[in-house]
Amino acid sequence: MTTPTAPIVRLTIDGMTVKVPKGTLVIEAARRVGVMIPHFCYHPKLKPDANCRMCLVEIEKMPKLQTACSTPADEGMSVRTATTVVNDAHRSVLEFILANHPLDCPVCDQGGKCDLQDFSHQYTAASRFVETKRIFQKEYFSPLIETQMNRCVQCLRCVRYCDEVMDVKALAPVGRGTMTEIKHFGPHPLNCEFCGGCVQICPVGAITSRLSMYEYRPWMLKRADTICGYCGDGCQMTVQTKDQELIEVNSAHGAGRNNGDLCARGFFGFHAASHPDRLTHPLIRKNGALVQTTWEEALEYVANRVSELKQLHGGQSFGGLISGRCTNEELYVFQKFMRGAIGTNNIDSSARYGHVNGLHAMRLVQGTHRWTVTFDDVLDADVLVLVGTNITETNPITGLKVKEAVKKRRATLITIESLEPVVDTMSNIANLSDHHFCIPPSEMQNGILGLLKAILEEDLIPPDIPQRYPGYVKAVTTALRAFSWQDLHRSTDIEPDSFRQAAKVLAAGRRVIVLTGQVLLRSERGYAGSLTLLDLLILTGKLDQPGCGFAPLAEENNDQGAVEMGAVAEFLPGACSADNAADRERFMCLWKRDLPLAVGASLVDMLHRAETGSLKAMFMVGENPVASLPAPIRAEDSLQKLDLLVCQELFLTETASLAHVVLPAASSMEKTGTFTNTEGHVQAVRPSIEPIGESRPDWEVFAALSVLFGMPMEYAESKDILKEIRGAISGYTSLGPTPLPPKVDPTAMDRYLNEGYQPDLTTRYRLIAPKSRPDGTLQIGFGQSLFHSGKLSIRSKGLLQLEGTGRLRINPVDAARFALMDGDRVRLYSTSGEMTTEIKVMERVPQGTAWFPDHFGQTAVGLFECAIDPITRVPSFRTATVSIMKVA
Amino acid sequence: MPKHELILLKNMMQPGYTGSLSDYEKTGGYQALRKTLGKIAPADVTAMVRKSGLRGRGGAGFPTGVKWGFLPKDYQGPRYLCCNADESEPGTFKDRQLMERDPHQVLEGIVLSCYAIGAETAFIYIRGEMVLGSKILEHAIAEARAAGYIGKNILGTGIHADVWVHRGAGAYICGEETALLESLEGKRGLPRIKPPFPATHGLYNKPTVVNNVETLANLPHIMSRGPEWFAAIGSPPKSTGTRVFCVSGHVKRPGNYEVPMGVTVRELVYEHAGGMRSDQPIKAFIPGGASAPFLTPAHLDVKLDFEHVAAAGSMLGSGGVTVMEEGTSMVWAALRLMEFFYHESCGKCSPCREGSSWLVQTLRRILAKRGRMEDLETLLDLCKNIAGRTVCAFGDAEVAPIQSTLKYWRQEYVDLINEAEAANLIKLEPVGKG
Amino acid sequence: MTFSEKYKDEITDILSRYPVKRSALIPLLYVAQRDQGYVTESAMQEIAQLLRLTPPQVYETITFYTMFNLKPTGRFHLQVCKSLMCALVGSDTLFGWIHAKLGIGPGETTADGLFSLSAVECLAACGTGPMMQVNDDYYEQLTEDKLDRIVSDLRSTGTSPLKSGPFMWPEAVESADRPSS
Ligand SMILES: Cc1cc2nc3c(=O)[nH]c(=O)nc-3n(C[C@H](O)[C@H](O)[C@H](O)COP(=O)(O)O)c2cc1C
Ligand code: SF4
Ligand code: FES
Repeated sequence: MTTPTAPIVRLTIDGMTVKVPKGTLVIEAARRVGVMIPHFCYHPKLKPDANCRMCLVEIEKMPKLQTACSTPADEGMSVRTATTVVNDAHRSVLEFILANHPLDCPVCDQGGKCDLQDFSHQYTAASRFVETKRIFQKEYFSPLIETQMNRCVQCLRCVRYCDEVMDVKALAPVGRGTMTEIKHFGPHPLNCEFCGGCVQICPVGAITSRLSMYEYRPWMLKRADTICGYCGDGCQMTVQTKDQELIEVNSAHGAGRNNGDLCARGFFGFHAASHPDRLTHPLIRKNGALVQTTWEEALEYVANRVSELKQLHGGQSFGGLISGRCTNEELYVFQKFMRGAIGTNNIDSSARYGHVNGLHAMRLVQGTHRWTVTFDDVLDADVLVLVGTNITETNPITGLKVKEAVKKRRATLITIESLEPVVDTMSNIANLSDHHFCIPPSEMQNGILGLLKAILEEDLIPPDIPQRYPGYVKAVTTALRAFSWQDLHRSTDIEPDSFRQAAKVLAAGRRVIVLTGQVLLRSERGYAGSLTLLDLLILTGKLDQPGCGFAPLAEENNDQGAVEMGAVAEFLPGACSADNAADRERFMCLWKRDLPLAVGASLVDMLHRAETGSLKAMFMVGENPVASLPAPIRAEDSLQKLDLLVCQELFLTETASLAHVVLPAASSMEKTGTFTNTEGHVQAVRPSIEPIGESRPDWEVFAALSVLFGMPMEYAESKDILKEIRGAISGYTSLGPTPLPPKVDPTAMDRYLNEGYQPDLTTRYRLIAPKSRPDGTLQIGFGQSLFHSGKLSIRSKGLLQLEGTGRLRINPVDAARFALMDGDRVRLYSTSGEMTTEIKVMERVPQGTAWFPDHFGQTAVGLFECAIDPITRVPSFRTATVSIMKVA
Repeated sequence: MPKHELILLKNMMQPGYTGSLSDYEKTGGYQALRKTLGKIAPADVTAMVRKSGLRGRGGAGFPTGVKWGFLPKDYQGPRYLCCNADESEPGTFKDRQLMERDPHQVLEGIVLSCYAIGAETAFIYIRGEMVLGSKILEHAIAEARAAGYIGKNILGTGIHADVWVHRGAGAYICGEETALLESLEGKRGLPRIKPPFPATHGLYNKPTVVNNVETLANLPHIMSRGPEWFAAIGSPPKSTGTRVFCVSGHVKRPGNYEVPMGVTVRELVYEHAGGMRSDQPIKAFIPGGASAPFLTPAHLDVKLDFEHVAAAGSMLGSGGVTVMEEGTSMVWAALRLMEFFYHESCGKCSPCREGSSWLVQTLRRILAKRGRMEDLETLLDLCKNIAGRTVCAFGDAEVAPIQSTLKYWRQEYVDLINEAEAANLIKLEPVGKG
Repeated sequence: MTFSEKYKDEITDILSRYPVKRSALIPLLYVAQRDQGYVTESAMQEIAQLLRLTPPQVYETITFYTMFNLKPTGRFHLQVCKSLMCALVGSDTLFGWIHAKLGIGPGETTADGLFSLSAVECLAACGTGPMMQVNDDYYEQLTEDKLDRIVSDLRSTGTSPLKSGPFMWPEAVESADRPSS
């Protein structure tokens, strides 16, 4: 392991001089001068294990051959990798490794990309082995992963990856000596996170994907590097196809922000695009039913209806809702169409479900709408605070950064989350936490307040802050003194000392990052909580320090882009306030159109207006409010009242079924564009297959409609849109390997600390009284599970094999309390509704709470009440009190 | 029979000696501890041990005082001592006797060593099969703890040393010191890559010393009688002290014999072990456990000390001397040991893992009269390709029986193969061409 | 009663010896094996939980070592050393005798479930071979007669005075003084 400050040493590799930081492994140093030393067990992500012995080299002054993968480079070292001795050693190790290998290359999916095959070829290996080969009994291993242990070279890369990188530890090398095989637990099939890491890291064909078994040879496949569409992490992946068929996804080491790591959704979830339910033709409602039609007819119908309705009711009678899964280009064109062609700010996107809470808080306090840190800063952090984010499930790759920071770089982790630190074969960030505060979702704010109170009372506020902002510090002090440690203890059941210890660590940290996610951002306190977390960074003097920052995690792959492109009511592109005169002026010039003045309605308000009759028409792009919003919003009733509902969709969703026109949309596997990940990094999306059926990218639809309206927005390709976006948003960065984060804007921060905090600080700092838990009830939460993220994932055959239905996750003690066993069917009742589901007993769910995965949430959503944030208009429906009853 | 003074086996040879604390104390037990703790500075203890010339009795023969000196001087935080009581080397059975018959001698050595290296915790990693030994040790520890020789504030000196017995669970490789540490950490016993060495990154990544039972049992004597006394015994300067040689095989009185280093096998066999069982001549012997290459009657007068055995092409190793009489099949003997190594290879390194299964199968085939002449070259070549190319010394050890028997008794292999060829039992072609 | 409840005190005692929990794994597996004669799946799961390991981590460790059984064995597990040193003094005949008397070969168990036989590698008793271990006890310098007596002793009393030891304890006080397992 090298450190940033490691001195540089100079060594020679086959006579070539190379300078590397001391501690760099010889195999790496060699790679720098283009010398590839053969290896199996070495992998840059893993600690050296030096078990395969393939990488032997000669090092001057050392009597025996050394393994290049485990020997650190040192000053003056002279390494030889190509002498006869070394060559013979390589050949002989290869002969050993091949001895027990079945040589079944014709039926091996690794064929053509196999290290063993390649080295054998390179060394023209022959075998003198005439004995009996070892044979493992074939056992069923897992739904998506196939093992063929006879091919295993026992390099343990899979096992080491599963432990060192994933922190999952689901794979076990079982037995000893030649009979060691990789298994799960006892006779059980693999049960793990299914990140696919073992498949990717196996140098031979011992672990392969069952999704593409026997389907291809690598050279038959076409590859496209693109960005995963399942969450805000924005992983780069390579989609491999044969004709129109999606065969496999992988990600090369070093690629993208994910450095080649993927999660189950990325690795096994790629089939959604080719699901047979995909809409392939436009549909139009005739005599009450949706029937197939042509694009011409559909678009003409829409154009005509829009003109009629606009004439009758004006632009304000329109609304548009777009998914944060669309590309930046689509989001941009969509809002430009709504504003410029239709004339309304009634625009919203899925960022409204929670992401805007974090962004509004950042804008208020630090004047940015992006993180001021990057994943690399997360890796370098010495203190990480995770609040309300079950990060390993929602943003698994950001989670990996956290794991690496903690496991390899010894960062201290503070977590506030409704999770018990329980070890099982799914990673659980609470297990790595040094200071864990287990708090139910609805009361998470209390944990933040505990930290703040400790900071105040332990005198951890740097003196210049009270000097410069006496009013702010006084207000905070008063607010935090308003409740006692006893009060806090009563409402959290956490000892004050735990808060004090964590606060000290936090204050002592040099590079402190606070990450927050869905549990906080989508809660009733999403905005307030974000502000309070920013307060935490301010009061410890961190916020504007290098390597420090606040990082709300985006849920959808392009929620960040949706806000930046202006696909929300309150913002023009670049997150400029829609009511800022200068910005409006600028965009009017740029677009050569008038822009509406009226304040736009957000998601819930639009539906409300539809219900009351003032909103007449809606464009719905990839959003499905009927299924995703709770009953009290009455989305279905509202949408049914519309005179025109146009849906652009991949599938005929509940919402699309209500539409007058349904237009088939191309998925991100089929189009070009860009996504902006949670760090604010803009990355290229590239098509791997042709659009399915007659589906088209969403931007084309709006471009076409605009032409029909006589207000043409003409773009030949998505690149032209990107060019326009770059012109429209100042400083919009070019596509590069790493993001350039903005800095905290000191004027914004000043404004916040002088007056910005005033309106709501006292309310924000009030302790939340713990929800009373009547006997026989549970607090249930709605949340994301690792294997799904919405309508695409639930149409992916791989992911469905991992999790086919939503099940209520419940603690074993509670299960026992209600006399329930894993898999039992139960009926849940809340004041809002009821549902039937199965239960899944999980130790990590804290007692008294339970949660349900929201992607199967159509029925569950009925259980929840809804609260709307008065400032950010975020509808929150994440927790409910339910009673539970077993049903047959 | 020349009478040598017994040191380690002295107590237990006395009739009626049970090894209990009171018996041990009666023979002067724990006096070294009293004399040393708090009275001689730890660094001076290390210096004395260095001066005594004591070398490890576990196999590698590394100078004990020097090893202790590798511990970081200024390291704050815990250090550990691990007593290697995994004794699994075929032919070796001295540690078991030392622990079962005179456990306090070992414990006193452990506490002395803890004191010298600044460890407050010692683990005795005893091989799992030795249930009796572990119970005896536990009992002895309880006695010593009650008497204030072990635990907190030993003999009022303010020095702490806790000793725990930790049983292995059946894996020869756990005798290798880093595998031992892994196993003690609750993991699979796979040797670690070195460097770093246990002295700096040992148990739980803390500075650690691993010493063999017999090595440690010498310490009370060195401390009470002085390093000079010890250094004068045996074959000074490099092989000082006595060795408990474990004599097995075709001798009349197999067993443990403690003699000064430097006696010959001839003396050991004929003057201590009562000569050969059926008065047959010696055909072969192993001087230092299964990992040591076989030697021949020509080596009967080689002095059994580190240098001379090494010069004769074998090693003193763990002191297991196995003697074979005329008529023993050397191919069979090599196979028996090879089967052991095959069974015990941990599987980490490809050459050792794959090589052991290959070697064992080829040997079995030759012995079953299905060998071919090429097999002999292949065997030698495989041995060469395993030795020196693995993480731990097991790789070197496993090839010793084959290499040495092929060196001295090649004809036996050839005869078996000739029989096979004569019977034309099988013709095997290699897969692929080189 | 679960394993952890049943052996609560012993488990606490074992855990107290080690600064890092995982070190208690092998000791706890021994407790589990003593309880049922082999390590059951549920014991592995409980131990995993106690030590904050995943079950696969427990499993991989168990399978590395030869002394843990994952399946029930006979009540008396005869483990005869087959390594070179014992072989030189006749361990092969021992297998013959056992086969003749009990009708089992290595890896087999008698029909009544009393005896299982394994061929094992060197048990550090080469000076007193041929030898075998039966459950916890060593039996050394075996002869056919001795074997007969051991087998019949085991059948009738569950143990045999022919076993090695005890050494530290005078025979008379053995049962009182000897730490029980
Ligand atoms: C494969 C292998 C097995 C070993 N087995 C043992 C053993 O059973 N007992 C032992 O004391 N040393 C054994 N050793 C030697 C140890 O690694 C280590 O050198 C020794 O415990 C150090 O103690 P010493 O310096 O007191 O000899 C073994 C070494 C190897 C390579
Ligand atoms: S040489 Fe053999 S025993 Fe030693 S680490 Fe390698 S595989 Fe394991
Ligand atoms: S790559 Fe170096 S030993 Fe495997």
